[in-house]
Amino acid sequence: MAFKRRFLAVALVLLGLGLCAYGLAFHVITVHPEKDDAAAVATSEPATVKEVSIGGLKRDETGKIRQTYTGEAPQSCPT
Amino acid sequence: MASIVKKTGLNRFVGRILPRRHWVQAGFLLVWLGPLGLRMHNVCGPVFHCYACPLASFACPIGVMAQFSALHVIPFLAIGTVLTVGALFGSLICGWVCPFGLLQDMGAKVPIKKLRIPAWAGYFRYVVLIGTVFAVPWFFGEGHPLFVCRICPAGALEKAMPDVISQAVTGKEIIWPNAVKITIVIVMVVAMFITIRPWCRILCPLGAIFGLLNRFSILSMRLEDHKCTACKRCRTLCVYGLTPDKKPNDDNCLRCLECTRCGPGALAVTTVFASPSEKQETTPQPVEP
Repeated sequence: MAFKRRFLAVALVLLGLGLCAYGLAFHVITVHPEKDDAAAVATSEPATVKEVSIGGLKRDETGKIRQTYTGEAPQSCPT
Repeated sequence: MASIVKKTGLNRFVGRILPRRHWVQAGFLLVWLGPLGLRMHNVCGPVFHCYACPLASFACPIGVMAQFSALHVIPFLAIGTVLTVGALFGSLICGWVCPFGLLQDMGAKVPIKKLRIPAWAGYFRYVVLIGTVFAVPWFFGEGHPLFVCRICPAGALEKAMPDVISQAVTGKEIIWPNAVKITIVIVMVVAMFITIRPWCRILCPLGAIFGLLNRFSILSMRLEDHKCTACKRCRTLCVYGLTPDKKPNDDNCLRCLECTRCGPGALAVTTVFASPSEKQETTPQPVEP
């Protein structure tokens, strides 16, 4: 029982660290500009986290992830 | 009358730091409120703290999860951060680290008779987590009124209200938040005074995850049956109305660790790695009756 408990706790920590590592190093999100006047950009997950924290990304009707602004970024999340 | 209890090193440390819990919480504000103006919003913090707050150091993991859900993208970083911290400490984060918890603890200091929240109300947190953090954003997008950030009291108290105050102080035109935000602020402030930790215990989606991890976390609570005298003092000490003698790692426990002050010292903070020999480590220590 104690071994199971230890194994589960360590496995959860390792799983969490693995998810963080994957998000930091490998996960890439394709972001399209506000208007289709430029190419889509592959954005890392940390950069995407920063973008969503200011309400800078939205999913459009076609399912594409699109920036909500052009030029200067908003100060903070609009919600 | 002083009694003799057996305590491990970890529990001695807990015993020393327990009376200063609010100072520990306040100390962590130096991390969450970015005193050096660091805004590392590409990293999720493990606490419930709105990233729209002008002083927020890190991104809110719940806000990030909801926003990613609206984008139909899996938030590996946010989930990984919460899972790692939760699997290490469980809801100790809620009791000792979270700034929104501290705010509610301060509200609860107002000497008004407190309403009791039934333990089952804690399960509503999972409804909030699944509904407003994952389902609503996924199916309806971030514009839906039930999107978590639109109903979040942390956002209302940490961003909307400071904005109004700042506009009033600087003589600018005041842009009032919408009626929903104002209502949330009023309800939250009143609830903070008339009950203990209302948000954490009924609605907090982050607390739901940490609470769920309580029973699996490396740091855990242990009831030592041979020491328990069934005096039920731990139940009196638990301001959340839980039964630590029955379920020391309850989902609804916020791990304030007050129950470890019980006279016989039957409730202890431990880790899953504590070997039987460590469990027997003894240090006579007087404890208040």
